[in-house]
Amino acid sequence: MNTFKWLVRREFWENRAIWIAPAAVGALQTLAILFGTVNISGITDNNALATPDQGTVIGGLALFIFGVVFFAVAYVYAFWYLLDCLYADRKDRSILFWKSLPITDAQTVLAKLFIGLIAIPLVYFVAADVTTLLMAVIVSLRFRSFIGAALWHPDQWLQMQVLWLYLIVTMGIWYLPLAGWFMVVSAWARRAVILWSILPPVAILILERWFVGTHVVARLLVDWSSGYAAHTFIEPPANGWATAIIGGHAITRPESIWGMVTPAYFFSSPATWICIFVGSALVFAAIQLRLRRAEV
Amino acid sequence: MSLTMPALIDAQKLTKRYGKYTALDQVSFTIDTGRIVGLIGPNGAGKTSALRAILGLSSYEGTLSVLGREPFSDRTALMNEACFIADVAVLPGWLRVDQAIEFVAGVHPRFRRDHAEALLAKTQITGKRRMRELSKGMKTQVHLALTMAIDAKLLVLDEPTLGLDILARRAFYDALVNDFMDDTRTILITTHQVEEVENLLTDLIFIDRGHIALAMPVEDIPTRYAVVAVTENEVEAARALEPIYERRTLGKTLFYFEAPDFEKLAGFGEIMTPSVSDLFVAKMSGSAV
Repeated sequence: MNTFKWLVRREFWENRAIWIAPAAVGALQTLAILFGTVNISGITDNNALATPDQGTVIGGLALFIFGVVFFAVAYVYAFWYLLDCLYADRKDRSILFWKSLPITDAQTVLAKLFIGLIAIPLVYFVAADVTTLLMAVIVSLRFRSFIGAALWHPDQWLQMQVLWLYLIVTMGIWYLPLAGWFMVVSAWARRAVILWSILPPVAILILERWFVGTHVVARLLVDWSSGYAAHTFIEPPANGWATAIIGGHAITRPESIWGMVTPAYFFSSPATWICIFVGSALVFAAIQLRLRRAEV
Repeated sequence: MSLTMPALIDAQKLTKRYGKYTALDQVSFTIDTGRIVGLIGPNGAGKTSALRAILGLSSYEGTLSVLGREPFSDRTALMNEACFIADVAVLPGWLRVDQAIEFVAGVHPRFRRDHAEALLAKTQITGKRRMRELSKGMKTQVHLALTMAIDAKLLVLDEPTLGLDILARRAFYDALVNDFMDDTRTILITTHQVEEVENLLTDLIFIDRGHIALAMPVEDIPTRYAVVAVTENEVEAARALEPIYERRTLGKTLFYFEAPDFEKLAGFGEIMTPSVSDLFVAKMSGSAV
């Protein structure tokens, strides 16, 4: 366990982008809030948000949009990291230093998987929280009664926390096969990891189309990659929608997060367990490749 | 080697293939504790393949035991007691000196942090420097300090001084002998530059195209090899004694003999002991014919 802690620390030393990138995203967003102008659906005057409903909807929407930006960047970075993590040290030959230490290849691979699927999203989660808090303070001071108050809804805040943490857990499980595949490529390829990550699946699709005339693999891939939302969220939400009319526009959002998330369904679905099984098998394959490969 | 004590490294019919290419072909050798062994051969002879197998970095055929363990399946446990420097330039550029010490201290049970820090204190290198900012010689000093501070039974060095200038090389080998070596430890060095290590070694293993060309203690060379300088009119007589190698110098021809008949050789004049470098050239040129 102690070794694992050091392996994780090492990744933070090596990949400073893990915390620099979210800090930069947060700084940009904060700048926008400090100096930007607000124009939400034509609201420009102090009396526009007359009802508490309107305030809650606008506040929730703001928290959500800011969070989405963070998580989009987080997962793009995380999967890029996973594709590079077992390749970079083979390329610069530092693998020969790491392998001179009493660390198993399984420990190394699992530490990197942990960084990609848990640590990176969590760092972005914290950065998103800090930024939205800062945003709430700034907006309150700048616009006072306008939409400032809208951001101070403890219940809504809590719901967002649950939503993001639920997202991190379910994304990590559902897309474990993708992470495992990227690690296999990263541990195996001698060059061009990005190309190798795309080429074999595409080749299988084309070969199946040509020689068998079906597109089972293609459908499987589409179902899987698009099936995430259907397995994690209920649509429509169990406790209905909340609609607010703001500046002549109807803005709709779920009444609460609690009615949207479906952990019981997610964890009881066979698809989820297939993802866990396939993902684990690919991670195991990455460990086996790591055992046998030294420098590129 | 005594019968009761198992060899530190015991390789029997060690074979390594890369596809159709055989890098090591049924190689057998043993290495005992307390020795400094040179694994010497031309480029592409199979040195690195042998080392990779010994360090558990690659799979192989045949049997191999290092410190009583099977290296490939037991690399992690082996690395508690063995350490290696595979070329000096492998410390990653982003790593800071103090991070390197902290990390090795964190994961290695036999690492003596104060020892590493004391070794580095003798140099100009400060803890906040990153490897990419250091010269190759400085990187060597860092890597050596990290490795020396591990209380290891076996140290393996693969072409450790490649790309270093003469001062850095000398410093490297001095540190090796003074700070690391004692009779409970063993060093295995591969190199293709024999002259650099010949005064250091206690044992030689010459390897050529996947085969062992010679394996013996350095102290046995005088009894098993001889060289005589022969004048022009005695050349045919010397050749009749089946030398393994001959070399013309100014006015004389040097003849190298394996398992010589010292009485017969005495007739040609002074019998000399070939240096390790000469022996290497003699064995490698002979086998290349």
